Amino acid sequence: MRPFKYSVTSNVNSATKMLTANPNAKFLAGGTNILDLMKEDVERPDELVDITQLSLTLIKPITEGMNKGGVSIGGLGKNTGTANHPLIRQSFPLLTQAILAGASAQIRNMATNGGNLNQRTRCPYFYEVSMPCNKREPGTGCGALEGINRMHAVFGWSENCVAVHPSDMCVALAALDAVVKVQGANGQIRSVPFADYHRLPGDTPQKDNNLNQGELITSIEIPKNNFAPKSYYLKVRDRASYAFALVSVAAAIEMNANQIIQARVAMGGVAHKPWRAFEAEKFLAGKEATEANFRQAAEIEMKQAKPLEHNKFKIELGTRAIVLALTKAMNGGKAS
Amino acid sequence: MSEPKKAIGQSINRVDGLLKVTGAATYATDYKLKNTAHAIIFKSTIAAGKITGIDTSEAEKAPGVLAVITHKNAPKLNEKGGIRGGAFLQSNIIEFHGQHIGMVVAETFEQARYATRLVKVSYEKAEPKVDFEKHQKEAVLPKNNMDAVRGDVETAFRDAEYKIEAVYETPIEHHHPMETHSTIAFWEGDKVTLYNGSQIVNGAQGAAASTLGIKPENVRIVTPFIGGGFGSKGGQWANLVLAAVAAKAVNRPVKLALTRQQMFNSVGLRQRNHQKMRLAATKDGKLTVLAHETTTHCAINNEFVEPCGDCSKVMYEVPNSLISYKVVPMNIILPTYTRGPGKSTGSFALESAMDELAYQLKMDPIEFRLKNEPAKDPSNGKPWSSRTTVQCLQEGAKAFGWEKRKIEPRQNKQGEYLIGYGVACGTYPARQQNSSAIVKLIRKGTEVKATIELAASDLGTGSNTIIAQTASDALGLPINKITVKIGDSDLPPAAGSVGSVGAASFSNAVNDACIKITDELIAKSGKQFFVRPTAATMMLTEKLTEFETRVDAKAPADAGNYSSHSFNANFAEVWVNSMTGMVKVPRFLAVTGAGKILNPKTARSQIIGGNVWGIGMALTEESVLDPRWGNFVTRSLAEYHVPSNLDIGTIETIFIDEKDTIPNKLGVKGIGEVGIVGVAAAVANAIFNATGKRVRDLPITPDKLL
Repeated sequence: MRPFKYSVTSNVNSATKMLTANPNAKFLAGGTNILDLMKEDVERPDELVDITQLSLTLIKPITEGMNKGGVSIGGLGKNTGTANHPLIRQSFPLLTQAILAGASAQIRNMATNGGNLNQRTRCPYFYEVSMPCNKREPGTGCGALEGINRMHAVFGWSENCVAVHPSDMCVALAALDAVVKVQGANGQIRSVPFADYHRLPGDTPQKDNNLNQGELITSIEIPKNNFAPKSYYLKVRDRASYAFALVSVAAAIEMNANQIIQARVAMGGVAHKPWRAFEAEKFLAGKEATEANFRQAAEIEMKQAKPLEHNKFKIELGTRAIVLALTKAMNGGKAS
Repeated sequence: MSEPKKAIGQSINRVDGLLKVTGAATYATDYKLKNTAHAIIFKSTIAAGKITGIDTSEAEKAPGVLAVITHKNAPKLNEKGGIRGGAFLQSNIIEFHGQHIGMVVAETFEQARYATRLVKVSYEKAEPKVDFEKHQKEAVLPKNNMDAVRGDVETAFRDAEYKIEAVYETPIEHHHPMETHSTIAFWEGDKVTLYNGSQIVNGAQGAAASTLGIKPENVRIVTPFIGGGFGSKGGQWANLVLAAVAAKAVNRPVKLALTRQQMFNSVGLRQRNHQKMRLAATKDGKLTVLAHETTTHCAINNEFVEPCGDCSKVMYEVPNSLISYKVVPMNIILPTYTRGPGKSTGSFALESAMDELAYQLKMDPIEFRLKNEPAKDPSNGKPWSSRTTVQCLQEGAKAFGWEKRKIEPRQNKQGEYLIGYGVACGTYPARQQNSSAIVKLIRKGTEVKATIELAASDLGTGSNTIIAQTASDALGLPINKITVKIGDSDLPPAAGSVGSVGAASFSNAVNDACIKITDELIAKSGKQFFVRPTAATMMLTEKLTEFETRVDAKAPADAGNYSSHSFNANFAEVWVNSMTGMVKVPRFLAVTGAGKILNPKTARSQIIGGNVWGIGMALTEESVLDPRWGNFVTRSLAEYHVPSNLDIGTIETIFIDEKDTIPNKLGVKGIGEVGIVGVAAAVANAIFNATGKRVRDLPITPDKLL
């Protein structure tokens, strides 16, 4: 990798200041993605600011403010610890399932929650520096658009980029309407609704999210909800473990007798960001929880999809995955 | 007098197990040599054309850099010296994407890697031939013609009532041993020592010497442990000689290790195969036609063709048979031997087609196979030295619970899962190759110890262990008194761990050496014995302190008059998620007839490993090329999917008790390859039984089952 300066800090203010002062610096947390990217010459920071000593690891109940009754998870908490925390397991099993569906045990042990949000796409054209990629090098074109794009987007892509966001955890966080708390160099904390955190590629695919230089994810808040008894994370992939999603679905339902009060559906492996299936959700509100309704909701959502040459199967697979995830959610979210 | 307990046939733990689990086993790059520099290769970013300019000035100035070597300053080497795939910087011509075009030698690995990023290369691009779909119609007869014809296939097929014609596709696959190809080279005067994972020690020595233009005795290969190879370390690739070139250039030991990404276009691959099958049978299930026509690709100016028709030649009695090959040279790295070469891929086509025809006949696929069992080798008329297909099928069926299977698909459902059973057979030739061995006996007081020496290799399969077991029995010494020295070209020449010849060749050579040393000790004593004493006893009674001998062992003279093979039958149970298309293989059974099983524990591991490879072939493994540029988009083990632990359920292995001393005196047939043969077809056939869907192109990913 290219030579770089390694800096360590133990407080949030100085971390954000260091990154603001050097626009070519990056944070180093779990290192499960940034180091790979540096070895491959994709990321070329001249400074890494090690933030692993910051005390941003706590998972705790939120006792005041808008999300009172929910849970706050620290930006530097590890994925494994988050998935297995009793507060998460009890109140947000969807998040537990999603995290445990991702990567490998070894990676989850290292990877942080904030890092999970900020990990970069695994598009092979992004990784191979001799290939065109607007995300890596704006203006060079999209290698995947007319290349091998089986793993790529069917929603929200642009001619500039058809990459997908690789996270499972984020799909659940999208469904749960999480709020990302970020702190900038000015010391101010701002709240970003999860749906606004990641971006569609448009004509700036180099920007994965709306984090500004120097800003740090301090925590992620999950508002209280009533989805715990009826939620399920379904991941369809080429092998049973350690594979990115072809399509994944986070489904959560709140019922009143036979009627769906509200349903949440988010998808992974289909877009540049975790894809909230708002159309499907809108359709399901007030309906009975029948397979026919699930199918109709899924079809309404997938109707907006625009497949590429090699991923046409994602339309049918996405439809089925929504139906299956909702069905499993209704059955108490038990994996089969 | 009670017979001492034999070591052969016992499930003895690996003799090197402790070294391995404690990290003390020395793999190629584990040797600590003073003052070692590091070389990193850099590669072409086009698939065809030539380099018009290569500017290394910035790289040369980078911190720690000792040398930058490209075709402009590399020494002239012998391109026909036996290194596979060329790419050792002899010209500016580019023949495939990712061809080595240079290397940086630096004080540290990271300095070398960084400097490779500073090299500026300009190319004159040619239109690359990388799209197999497009170019397969240009395929021609291979120079090494392996075609075989018997009877009249066309007429018999035309007139047949029951027949199938189908094309089976297998993708490019990579070996991906855990240990990437890595070499440490250091020169002492005219002599070079190469620490390098080599499945064939003497082969690596010969290829390195010939390519470097030095005498074989001036090349020493050291490879006591190999972190897997699966054929990719059978032949040797450019990294071996480039390490020597780099070490010479900087006059220091040099360590050259390929990165995982570089493994995709540095050390061969299993090529894509397009296999057209035509099978016909009579109403009562007698095969009348078996035509197996393979179209594949090779390097642009170097031919290699996997013998996909090999299983079809020997598995079934059939009067009309055609085995043929066509190959199209392409701008893709030279394909090479990959576990079960030809047999694993070919058996997918043959054994899927057999299943398809059995279904058309509404016949149980085991019964169909039993009806077509050949009394002798149909390809050459030779008698079998032994053949266990029938036993493998029958014992397997019983153990697996085959009687529960329904011939009609989609009969077995559990929730959203469709459950199916599949069967498929396999075979792999059994051979003993020439190997020499030295046995040395040393006595101190009442303790006798032996050292066994031969230039064998241990890929991780357990060669060290079976050699120790063989010597233990043949010398009459406990196994812990045996020291095995292998993996060094200074030792007597031996066969390699390739083509399933290792166990037979090594064990028989060692056995011969131990018999010979016993004979010599008896002769030396001048005494007569009613009961043949062991070498260990002779050392004690004759009060000798040291004694040694050497043999040059060969296969029995009449082995060639017979057809000798390992055989297997594979049984798979699959659960297919009818909603998502994801496939689970909760249960797999391999029944194998492979002659004498020297060590059931390591043998079982070998078969399980082959089975996992086969399940990967069936469900997950595929290297994908961008047909525009010829680069692999599956660049790491995150995208090249070998099965994960969660993908593999219970694998059971059964060995048929078999005594066949025709191929070699110990009756060892070899198990490294046969474990993968037939596996992919068993899984694919089970998927058909579960879903009614016949998938003929591997891997069977979820999208193909929607």
